[in-house]
Formats: sequence, C-alpha cells, structure tokens
Amino acid sequence: MREPVLMPTLSDTMETGHLVEWLKQPGDVVKKGEAIAEVETDKAVMEVEAFYDGYLQGPLAVADTDIAVGEVIGYISDSLGAETKPAKQKADNAPVAKVAKTEIKTPPPMAEISPHAQTATQAPLSVKPVASEMASDKHIPASPYARGLARELGIDLARLAVGPDGSIRASEVVAAAVGRAMPNLDDGPDYELQPLRPMQRTIASNMMAAATIPVFHISARFSLAPLIALAREEGYSLTLLLAYACALTVEAHPRFNAVFTPQGLAQRQQIDIGIAMDVPRGLVTPVLRDVAGHPIKELAERWRTLKRKALGKQGNQHLRREDYRGATFYLSNLGMFDTVSRFDAVVPVGAAAILAVAAIQDGLAEFTLSCDHRVIYGADAARFFETLAVLLGDPKHRVLTSSNPLS
Amino acid sequence: MNDKVYYWQALNRSLDVEMAADESIIVLGEDVGLYGGSYRVTEGLYAKYGEWRLRDTPISEGSFTGLGVGAAMVGLRPVVEIMTINFALLALDAIINMAAKIPFMSGGQFPMPLVVRMPGGVAKQLAAQHSQRLEQTLMNVPGLRIAVPATPQDAYWQLCQAINSNEPVVLLEHELLYFSKGELDESRQAPPMHRARVCRQGSDLTIVTYSRMRDLALQAAMQLADTGIEAEVIDLRSLRPIDWDSCIASLEKTHRLLIVEEDSGFAGAGAEITAGLTERCFLIMDAPPQRVAGKELPIAYNAALEAASIPRVADIVSAAQQLCRP
Repeated sequence: MREPVLMPTLSDTMETGHLVEWLKQPGDVVKKGEAIAEVETDKAVMEVEAFYDGYLQGPLAVADTDIAVGEVIGYISDSLGAETKPAKQKADNAPVAKVAKTEIKTPPPMAEISPHAQTATQAPLSVKPVASEMASDKHIPASPYARGLARELGIDLARLAVGPDGSIRASEVVAAAVGRAMPNLDDGPDYELQPLRPMQRTIASNMMAAATIPVFHISARFSLAPLIALAREEGYSLTLLLAYACALTVEAHPRFNAVFTPQGLAQRQQIDIGIAMDVPRGLVTPVLRDVAGHPIKELAERWRTLKRKALGKQGNQHLRREDYRGATFYLSNLGMFDTVSRFDAVVPVGAAAILAVAAIQDGLAEFTLSCDHRVIYGADAARFFETLAVLLGDPKHRVLTSSNPLS
Repeated sequence: MNDKVYYWQALNRSLDVEMAADESIIVLGEDVGLYGGSYRVTEGLYAKYGEWRLRDTPISEGSFTGLGVGAAMVGLRPVVEIMTINFALLALDAIINMAAKIPFMSGGQFPMPLVVRMPGGVAKQLAAQHSQRLEQTLMNVPGLRIAVPATPQDAYWQLCQAINSNEPVVLLEHELLYFSKGELDESRQAPPMHRARVCRQGSDLTIVTYSRMRDLALQAAMQLADTGIEAEVIDLRSLRPIDWDSCIASLEKTHRLLIVEEDSGFAGAGAEITAGLTERCFLIMDAPPQRVAGKELPIAYNAALEAASIPRVADIVSAAQQLCRP
C-alpha cells in the first residue's frame, strides 16, 4: 500500500504552497501525526503531517518550489520496497489535503518514472522536472481566452483570484491588468527578478484591496512615560499594554469595532486586536482575541506565545490561520525605531481603523489613527484620542483594573 | 416591392417567379395541385401552370421523391413537397441513397437539381410522430445542402436559390412559421444560400440559432439587454454547410457561445455547431459553449408538456445569464 501525500489546503485563499523543506527523507520511518515537511502559505509556515504510519517514499516534490494545492508531493508506503504502480489518488485517502473544488486532477507523477528509479533511497533531485511542472500554472483552471490574454498582458494566472465558479475568466485577467500599475523596467538599469514569496504576494494583494478604502488620518502626541514605567514595573511589553489600552478605548467607542459592508456596518461583539509584527520573512499580524474581556496577565501569556510562533521560536508550532486572521482593530508600533517621528498605517480590509505609534521624541510619541471614513468620522477619532489620553495618563489604575474603568 | 407577407406567401412567390421563368421546374407532392398545398404554398399555381407541372401524387413518399430524383437526372428541376418531415422517413432512401450520392457516383455526369421541401418542428399539439425536425439525420449526409429559412425574405431567397442549384437541396420549413409575417423585397440581392445572418449585434455572448428559435433568441436578447447583457444573435440560415466564418467573427468579439435549437440536443445540430466552433475558436473562448435544446423526449401531445419540451425564452435568458456570470 502506498498513499500519496498531497499539498494541503491550509487556508481558504490558498492556491499554492511553498514547500520550504522536507523534514524527513525517503526511507525514513514516519508516524501518523508526525511532521514530514514544512510549507509556507500566504502568511505562515506550517507543517505537513503524516496521516499514516509507514515509510516516506519518493518521488518527493522539490523543496523551495511553489506547488498547487492538492498536488502529490510524496508518498507514504507501508513497506520499504519500491512499488511499481502509483497508489490510486483519491482525495479522501488523505484527509490532510482537503482538495480545493477548483483542483484539476492530474495523474500522480510516479506513472512517468521507471520502476528501477523508484527505490526508497531515490534522490529527490531526479524528479525535478516533474515537480517544477507541478508548480506551473497549467493546473489553474482558466478559460482558454483568459489564458491567452494573461500571456499577452504578462499576468501570472497564479496570482489571480478565481471567479465564483472556481475558474479564471477573461474578466479576472482584465481586472488584474487594469488595476495594476506596471513599472517600465526597460527604462531602468538591468535587474534580477525575485519571485514573490507567498507571504509577499498575500501582503501585496491585501494592500491593493485596502487601497479602495477611503481613509483619513488624525494625529496626536502622548506622553508614554507612565505606560513605560508600568511596563517596566510589571514586566509587560509596551506593545501589549498599548494594545490593551486600544481595546479599552475601542470598547468605549464601539464604532471602531465595526466594519463597512455593502449591506451595512458589521458591528463586532468582541474586540480582537491585530498587532503588526516585523518577522524575517516579512510582516505578520498576530491577533489577540477578546482583549477587553481578559485580564492583562492572561493576554501577556498569549502574546508571548504568538510572538514566539511568529518568530519560529515556539518549537514546532507556527502561526496558524486562526492566529492571524480576522482582527477588528489594528495596532502598528514602530516606537522601537528612535528616528521615526510619525507615520501612518494602511487600514486593512476587515477593520475600520489602525493606530500607528511612532518613537518618543522630546518626551512625546506621535500617534496616528488611520480610519475608514465610511465607518468613522473625524470627531469620532478625536474622541477616541481623548479616551486614550485618559488611559495613558494613569495606566496603573485605569489599565490594570480587572474591568474597564471607562465602560 | 417591400410588403409584409406571410412566410407561405413568400415561398409561393418564389415558386411562381421561378416556374414562370423556367418551364423545366415541376412540383410534386400530396395535395400540391388542386388543393394548393397543406400550408397554401402552391396556392394558385395549379390554375396557372397546370396539372403537368403541379403533380398531385399518391400517399407514397418513397415513390414520388424517387420520381423527383429520376426527373432531376433527366433534365427537369423538380420541387418535391413532403407534407411533413415526419413522412420523409419513408423517402430517406430516395434522398440519402439516391439524390445525395448519384452526382458523386456518376462522376458528375448526373447533376441533381432537386429541391425537397419539408414542413417540420413542434407545432401545436400534433404529438410525438408529427413534431420532429430530423435535421440531424440529414446533416450527416454528404452531398446534401440544407437550408433553414426563418423569415419570409429568406424563404423566398433560399427557395429561389435551391431551385436554381444543381445540387440536391432540402428546405426545412417550420410549421409555425408559415403564418408569420415579414418583409419581402423580391428585388433585393440575395446573399449566398448558406450565409448566416447577424440578426442582432451584441458584445457579451453569441447566440447561434436557426429556424423558429431565431425569434425566441431575439426575444431573449431583448430581455437580456434589460439586465445588462448584450447578446449577438446569429441566424445560421443553412445547416449544411454551416457558415463558420460568420460565427467565428462574432465569437472573436464575444468569446462566449450559446446554441439554441428546438430539436433534442443529443447528437443534434447544436452538437455539430459546438464541435465545429470549439475546434475553430477554442483559444478565444472564455467559457465552455452551452446548448439550450429540446428535452430528450418524444414530444408530448399535452400542450403544457409540449411547451416545456422545447426551449422557451426564459430558458435562453437563464442559460445566457449563467454563461455571462460576472
């Protein structure tokens, strides 16, 4: 028996995964539940778990390549001996690979490889051509016309969102072409093209989506001395205390916890703060859930875990989709960079506002609130700052009490 | 002359004009003479041209169509009327084995200036045995030409062209069209018999259709326009050969193909149109071609079931909307 290992669907927007590395080699014993490979998705690096006991068997997809969801990336066999026929590929054989509806079934690449090559110790290198084809856009369902247009316009189908029927039509290609400002590279010096990593691609498309939000900015300066003193005293991170102060302020001004939809304002029942975080591969926004409803002690513990996960320091645990999606308010703190006197942040789709905190200069730090003007108006934002000023002025009593003193 | 006339009158005018011009043209069929044809197509011609040129035949489609084939071989230009296409099943040997093949098998020594006219299609509660089209049966016969006029003008033009053609031509007329009215200008220059016509310009999808479904497709296109979808409607006018060029030109603009046919879809005319256009236009298609066709059923006698068995305007509208999903 030999079961295929498929590229899993790790988020609902995921179309391809970047195979970072194999944690096991062909011939290694693998146990059900054990991590066998690392995959980078749009926001996080996650592990692919074995769903069977057995031996990892090639051909393995080549590491450091993009592979479409649902594609076979390797096999788990119940014996070390090579098999000559590929196991029948069925989605329900491998629950880990919840195959996207749009997947186009392709025969397992094994079929093209001679039995002699299929030893358990076979080097992954020998399947490179197969693996690189797996990553090509041939498997993205697109109409022939859309495909031709994309080729002519130089649009990568892999970057387009599929339409409601699960395929890419000309309209998606045209929208991508029209909505995109293309630098004319011929005008400049020679260049080397670095393909976007999944995280970069996701951030880019999220930012493009955010560009349609009508935003206004409002700034104020605050003394952070009391908050810094408290952070030192209690051993909390300043960012966490800021997030907590934000949550209490949002609780007093619930409009900041709403989001615009064409059907109406969606007023969320719980304040989830997304905190922008600088990580080696780019930018992530781990989300602290129900911030206003939990004591700071508990939040501190959760924040520590999230940070460690985001930085890859939490053992085998990495950020999962539920760790970074769906914040209702965002915080971006660049206060650790002394030279930053002020900046404003981009309101992510899904929230109504984001607070940008710059470094302390002349004893004051400039806060800039970027607001979706469909949800929040200028005076709302001014009142938000008034409340925040009260909290920051006396954080010890106002922030560290178990219930919100403002509500 | 630019009057509104009935479809049957246009056919009648065509026969009259051609028969007056060429004595070798004769008409054969049941009740074509004294009675004037079951849909009045030969009305008045018996009195004008006499019983030698308008022959009332026995109820024997195989023999009088065969007679037409023989007459065409020896220099006459027969127009055979089969009372309904359903009876043409009895004449298929004469049409398929004789008319379509004799020019080929004789190395061109025998031309085949034969016209076979057949009323067909789903009319009003004529039940399964009298509600067929059978166009797919004839489309698969090399050597035949098949014209499917949908308007009085085309009926006039295409019957004139069929009579003047030295190849065997089957004219598939629709029973519900005989009493539809349209303009007829006999002085207008006719397009080639097989040339399709763009009846309505549009940019979002191409509806390819023919015969009576042309009217339904045009109505559907009007409704679609209200929802922001501009359908281009092409009346094929000929099923053999098919004017691929006109269809391709349209698909280059719309990239989406919807075929509307009255007959059941399986292995029907729409299947050939789909295949032919997919072969030619695959790379410019933005959606899989779709067909709106009659159900896979013999046509029911019951009026409600009969109406539900063949495409209705709403069916076309809904198929077009699906094809043009945003």
